[in-house]
Amino acid sequence: MTVTAWLALVVFVAAYALIATEKVHRVKAALGGAAAMVIIGATRGHSAFFSESTGVDWNVVFLLLGMMIIVGVLRTTGIFEFVAIWAAKASKGRPFRMMALLVVITAVASALLDNVTTVLLIAPVTILVCDRVRISPIPFLLAEAMASNIGGTATLIGDPPNIIIASRAGFSFNDFLVHLAPLVVVLLVIFVGLCWLLWGRSLHIDPARAAALQGLRGRDAITDRALLGRLGGVLLLVLIGFATHTVHHIEPSLIAMLGAGASILVSKADQSDFLREVEWETLVFFAGLFIMVGALVEQGVIGQLAVALTGAVGDQYLAAAMVMLFGSAALSGIVDNIPYVATMSPLVLDLVGPAEGLPPPKQGVWWALALGADLGGNATAVGASANVVVTGIAKRNGHPISFWEFTKYGLVVTVVTIVAAAPYLYWRYYA
Amino acid sequence: MRARDLAEIVPTATRDTTGAEAVHIAAEYRLSALAVLGPESLPIALLPGSQLLALVVPPYVRDDPQLAHVFSEDAAEEFCGRLASTTIGALIDEGMVSVKRLPAVGPDDTILEIATAMVAHHCPQVLVRDADGAMLGVVTLSRALAAIARLAGEDSPGLRTRLDVDLVDLPNLGHTGQDSMDAAAVSPADPVQRSGGGPNSGGGTP
Repeated sequence: MTVTAWLALVVFVAAYALIATEKVHRVKAALGGAAAMVIIGATRGHSAFFSESTGVDWNVVFLLLGMMIIVGVLRTTGIFEFVAIWAAKASKGRPFRMMALLVVITAVASALLDNVTTVLLIAPVTILVCDRVRISPIPFLLAEAMASNIGGTATLIGDPPNIIIASRAGFSFNDFLVHLAPLVVVLLVIFVGLCWLLWGRSLHIDPARAAALQGLRGRDAITDRALLGRLGGVLLLVLIGFATHTVHHIEPSLIAMLGAGASILVSKADQSDFLREVEWETLVFFAGLFIMVGALVEQGVIGQLAVALTGAVGDQYLAAAMVMLFGSAALSGIVDNIPYVATMSPLVLDLVGPAEGLPPPKQGVWWALALGADLGGNATAVGASANVVVTGIAKRNGHPISFWEFTKYGLVVTVVTIVAAAPYLYWRYYA
Repeated sequence: MRARDLAEIVPTATRDTTGAEAVHIAAEYRLSALAVLGPESLPIALLPGSQLLALVVPPYVRDDPQLAHVFSEDAAEEFCGRLASTTIGALIDEGMVSVKRLPAVGPDDTILEIATAMVAHHCPQVLVRDADGAMLGVVTLSRALAAIARLAGEDSPGLRTRLDVDLVDLPNLGHTGQDSMDAAAVSPADPVQRSGGGPNSGGGTP
């Protein structure tokens, strides 16, 4: 490797260490790392801005931006609050039934929206419901954070790592539905069982307090039914657009942006409202991250690693997939799964190639990366953005969840779901 | 007009004042903010009206304002009722009340500096403190606006009253009867703070 390549590797490791240890804010670390890559000559403007393999992957950035705007407008309708309160009332004061319903709602919503948005919407209403019946919301919040990570695994738009993998490998929305969604359904059933073992069997609601749930007016959360109908139509069209990609060949990022524009038009939302819902920090973080990883690609560091890996793997793709699954799960629990997947995607691309025409044994490595990173995010309180958001909301409401309290349950859920995913991968791609 | 000319004595709260008493004091004296005094009568917080209102809004409703619609009238009353069982000190400790920023001006500051402090801190009241940090009084929004109106050439008996008479001395404000008025008004220089027992407990006699 050249001196510049070694310097790029040092910059990358230093920035990654800062992100992982949270010594500085992850946006500062990613932008600082990108700036250092420019200063050492590892990347230049054209590579950083006009090449998705060596710079910012605008498909990922604009897909996220579009979905954030759609959800930002959609959340004003109150539909999420309505559904969550319906679930609480339908449980008729049985705490495990309430938990199971909220878990399923969270998982389904996470598959259609992003995880952070889902938990931002579901966590406050969960605390409200628990406050009404005077029980601790902590088990419910833990279950919802983990359900969002499991549910988000099912689709291309469900979890940011999936968006990165889809863009780098060229997988479509339907590919994720066909390859991951069936497993996620099974994992969700297993997770509901785990919820019973971990929390459900010890939950109890005083019957006298349970009556308070019936006093909640969920319908009143929906302030504009006509708007809800219009935005529901837009979201449906966006999902249809994703699913029919093979027909029209419009990239998911452009469909999301078209959906965002349509949402703004039908809602007549003010720009200050829908732009406020955009997580600009996340988008800038992605841009910095892509430039850093792109510099490694440009300098041949990723290529060298891939050559070494290819030599080690040979044609043992089952072993590679299993190492990828368990290794990704372990690493994603320690560091945020977004930078992990951003780094691993170009490596896997060099190792097994793009999605088109890829034989099942090689495809399995991609899906192992997605499953390991998405499900591994459940392991600790910092493993996924949704976990961080939920623990923050819990603390603000007087129910702090310590790192270790999250981890002792998260590790169990991660181990069980990853172990359950392994035979699926074997059966689907290697049997 | 300088801050020392506009400063007035207003009822204050202490850490031991309950949330219910705090909103009672603010309502009764039409205060747009309520100062909270700590040890040695030094101000530790200035709660603008929006923060007083926020005392009845649970954090999860602040996170998701849409949830305010789902409560019945009984539940809303229950939230207000909870204020009687919590103190300002507890709310500060829980982070429900922010004590990070204490908008203050010096005694010689001008009306422009007072207005700027109010705008910058989004607070309709500022403390007037001397060089040692002791509180000389507060400039309320209504008195600051009265001063501005006067400087803009406006005049009326009501405007003059607002400039010349402190809130606690205004007729028709606070409890009728000298005893209760004495108990409610506070001299920051010589506070006699008592806790519990109603809105008058937040202050002392000048």
